[in-house]
Amino acid sequence: MTPADRVLRDALRHQAVRATLLALVTTADAAAVLLLPAALGHTLDLLLAGEPATAALTGAAALLAALFLLDAVETVLTGTTTAHATARLRTRLIGHLLAVGPAGAARFSRGDLVTRATALAAQSGTAPGAVAALLASCALPLGGLTALVLIDWRLAGTFLLGVPLLALVLRAFTRRTGDTVERYLRLQGEIAGRFTETLAGARTIAAAGTLRRERGRVLAALPELSREGHRLWRVQGRSNAQAAVLVPLLQTAVVATGGLLLVAGELSVGTLLAATRYAALAAGIGVLTGRLAALVRARRSGARLAEVHAVPVAPHGTKPLPPGPGRLELRRVSAVRGGRTVLDGVDLTVPGGTTVAVVGRSGSGKSELARLAGKLTEPDHGEVLLDGVPLSEADPAALRRAVGYAFERPALLGGTLAGTIGFGPLPPPDPERITRAARAACADTFVRTLPHGYDTPCADVPLSGGEIQRLGLARAFTHRGRLLILDDATSSLDTATERQVTEALLNGDRPGTRLLVAHRAATAARADLVAWLEAGRLRALAPHARLWQEPDYRAVFAAGPEPADA
Amino acid sequence: MPEPDPGRTADAPPPRRGLFAAGARRLLRRPGALLALTGWSLLEAAHTFLLGLAVARALDEGFLRDRPATGLAWLGVGAVGIVAGAFGTGRVHRAVGALTEPLRDLLVERVVGGGLHAAVTPGRTAGAAGAGAVSRLTHQVEIARDSFAGLLMAGRAFVFTAAAALAGLAALHPLLLLVVLPPLLCGLGVFAASLRPLARRQRRFLDADEALAAELDATLGGLRDVVACGAQERVRAEAAERVTDERRAASALARWGATRAVALGLGGRLPVLLLLLLTPWLLDRGVSAGALAGALTYLLQSLAPALESLVHGLGGAGARLAVVLTRLRGGPTDDDGPVRHRPPPPSAADAALELRAVSFSYGRGAAPVLDAVDLTVPRGGHLAVVGPSGIGKSTLAQLLAGLLRPTSGHLAAHGPVTLLPQEAYVFTGTVRENLGYLCPRPVPDAVLLGAADAVGCAELLTRLGGPDAVLDPAGLSAGERQLIALARAHASPDPVLVLDEATCHLDPAAEARAELAFRARPGTVVVIAHRISSARRADLVLVLDGTRAVAGRPAEVAAGSALFRDLCGGWDAAGGSQPAGPLGDADGVHAVARAGLPGDR
Repeated sequence: MTPADRVLRDALRHQAVRATLLALVTTADAAAVLLLPAALGHTLDLLLAGEPATAALTGAAALLAALFLLDAVETVLTGTTTAHATARLRTRLIGHLLAVGPAGAARFSRGDLVTRATALAAQSGTAPGAVAALLASCALPLGGLTALVLIDWRLAGTFLLGVPLLALVLRAFTRRTGDTVERYLRLQGEIAGRFTETLAGARTIAAAGTLRRERGRVLAALPELSREGHRLWRVQGRSNAQAAVLVPLLQTAVVATGGLLLVAGELSVGTLLAATRYAALAAGIGVLTGRLAALVRARRSGARLAEVHAVPVAPHGTKPLPPGPGRLELRRVSAVRGGRTVLDGVDLTVPGGTTVAVVGRSGSGKSELARLAGKLTEPDHGEVLLDGVPLSEADPAALRRAVGYAFERPALLGGTLAGTIGFGPLPPPDPERITRAARAACADTFVRTLPHGYDTPCADVPLSGGEIQRLGLARAFTHRGRLLILDDATSSLDTATERQVTEALLNGDRPGTRLLVAHRAATAARADLVAWLEAGRLRALAPHARLWQEPDYRAVFAAGPEPADA
Repeated sequence: MPEPDPGRTADAPPPRRGLFAAGARRLLRRPGALLALTGWSLLEAAHTFLLGLAVARALDEGFLRDRPATGLAWLGVGAVGIVAGAFGTGRVHRAVGALTEPLRDLLVERVVGGGLHAAVTPGRTAGAAGAGAVSRLTHQVEIARDSFAGLLMAGRAFVFTAAAALAGLAALHPLLLLVVLPPLLCGLGVFAASLRPLARRQRRFLDADEALAAELDATLGGLRDVVACGAQERVRAEAAERVTDERRAASALARWGATRAVALGLGGRLPVLLLLLLTPWLLDRGVSAGALAGALTYLLQSLAPALESLVHGLGGAGARLAVVLTRLRGGPTDDDGPVRHRPPPPSAADAALELRAVSFSYGRGAAPVLDAVDLTVPRGGHLAVVGPSGIGKSTLAQLLAGLLRPTSGHLAAHGPVTLLPQEAYVFTGTVRENLGYLCPRPVPDAVLLGAADAVGCAELLTRLGGPDAVLDPAGLSAGERQLIALARAHASPDPVLVLDEATCHLDPAAEARAELAFRARPGTVVVIAHRISSARRADLVLVLDGTRAVAGRPAEVAAGSALFRDLCGGWDAAGGSQPAGPLGDADGVHAVARAGLPGDR
């Protein structure tokens, strides 16, 4: 059993009752569909012959009523089974992603994950319903053909001879449609590309007053797109016309054979009519292949979901964290990422209540260390301890209460600006704490210039890199844990603002340990100690002033880029 | 994210009526295509009409009378009908295309027009408007196109097939209509009645689906932050809620799908039963055996399938189209953008820019971004604006360029002002088009190349291949794009230029060269400074600190503004030119934050 099947089987098992019911209903429906032409034909023959037909009529009526009911139940059941199975697949996928966390999910892009959880889950969700209806889907064309054979083998022969003959004739008319679709998509992409380009230059366009010109430029390819669109319709019309010929001509051929048998006295009018209908059902093999293709698609989507489920969940324990000052210890910690050793046997102790700056050239492993320190990722070797408890044994909720983070590019979650700053476990912190944190992070001023202040939805405000960082810092400042980790979280702030934020961070009323990944010498200078990383190893742990004597250390800051003050 | 529309509650019917009226008007405006559609549909319907008739006649006049040749001949007539009808099917597609493609064109024009209009409308929210516009352009426009074509196709197919089948039944025997028509109309009635509730549920489903996608995009994109904030449980619960919403909406939609089965049962299956029940009665009234067989052929092979595709095609597609079209209600497609405010000329003869107590805030009740700024820049002057990020420097630039109007105070400018924003706009087009972008009339290449040379862009142009080379914006670095934008501004005839961090991606030497080039150019320059070195090159400095604006010569401002000194010190330290001292002291300047800085209030 493949991983995809395991994922889909779970969904099927979860929907076992509905799926079983659906299988019964669709099978019964197929049986009724197959019986109906024979019943109708028989009844018609009796009526035409003037014989008593009450029983036959009742039978036909019962079949029609059953079909009506079964159809209704099938429609509802298929829809609800798919809806429930999709929901099950989604909940499991989201749950797993939250459990594996950012390190586990990193191998997938954001858009990819969203596609998997929405479109692909929806497609996989059709699998239980499709599996349940599979027997019925096979039964219809096979039953139709069997019925033809049972009525008269010559009718079945006509049908079977006609299929390849017609298919050959039609193939001669088939033309390639691929390039037209491709051209259409390319032109559409061209317009979208220019549109994106123009949107990015909106401020220039606004300032230059060139909106009309730009609109013309974006839409320049529209006439050509339109031409390709018309061509697509022509191509589609051709192939649909071919499909419109096939089944009716097959039926006509069966009627012709049946008519000759009728003349020979070997067939009744009612049976001829039934044979016509069975020919149509037998031609429905296309429907079956369509269903099978859908099932294959559902399985392929299931395989994409299974890839996510294959990511293992990092182990965690249940130990509570004892009260402590926030002493952070890294013991011989190594991390290998993408085949490269990012951290190599790092031993580092950050005494509780102190501030340690982590510096080093880009690629020296600073951010990885920051991630490891708060268990956003796992070390390949070694151990990380907080107040004596290994992080891998700590209770996850207790750990999150103890460790707060601010990032270079924080994701703004929580809806409004206030929600963003107070984002975390429910219930949210009170507004007073949020404004205080925002003030400390120098975010209060710009928030107040917005029309709805703290209640402004983040999506409605184009925020600069510096503003986003200040919101992320405010969010970290509302956290009351014993360890605060700032991973390059002030890089987009101008020096004056950064100085002020660092001041609030170091001299504010919050106790605890702070770990700062820093690019600027001024920031490192404010820390109690500097952990100097070089190529994944800890080169030194000492005050900035002492390290500054070393030319190598000064060189770490020399090549630093200017702040992108926005 | 789907905005809850305040004007419409969830239970209100979707605005279909207006939509259909607009759609009908649009169709009527293309009589040629409509005529073609009708004509080819008639040909397609001839197939349906002949099918039952051929079966009936083949039986009555051929096979049942021992005349197989006649029977086969009638079936041959039916086969000709099939081939002719298929030809009609092909042409019908072209006609549907002729009606659908103009709709797509219109939607593309609207989405582009609306997206651009929203993007260039000034204000704090500009730019956010463009988000999602590209998805609308590609994805949603195509949904609208497919849904519209599907609607047209299914609706038209049903009308013509039903008409042909009914005509065929009448031709076989008028009494047959009496048997078939009432249940068919009942089925259609049920379908029509279910359209509205079905559309409402379809809309709710699409909304739930979009809400789920938006929520997942945010949380899965920010998974690191979710875990770091310890918000997994909360996010799991919120996502589960969205998933459940979507599931409920999908289930409700499926339950309402049962109405389709009812419509099909009444309109498609009940006539068959009635026909059988009334067979003895019909036979007594002269309806032949062949006519009965023909009637059953019409019912089973034409009417029931046509009704089925109508019922399945119309319900879903109609609601989808309605939903997408309301989202695509774009903006104007032929305007010139927001009206730019032209400030009056300054009162002083030699002033280029004059600000008297200029204040600005983004909306009523919001704290002012700029508060009573006073400033005069002489003609030919060179002003640098400095201050911490987010303090209102870009707002000032937009005020100077006339893109925003002061909330209060007086602003005057000598002549038109060119604003060069931080995001350099380079578009797919020739180098010449890009450089001459701000010139109202075509300019000789020599002038453009001269401007490029002055700002230090000549080497880049040579590498790109000269004025006729076509630029690929994605192939240029941010700094290269800024160089091109700078050359463009240098070539502009406007007497006042405002550079809003337009050099932030250049290295300090390239920045200096560009700024000196603008100094040498006749006219006034305002530089929103990215580096403090810009302020040192200027004649005048304006320091914004969140509460007040201090303007003057660099040396005077340095003496009066501690923030300016603070910025100078910080910038230099970060640049690595001097060792950063220990805590709290950067090259001897008093560095403790004081009143006047943002956040102190």
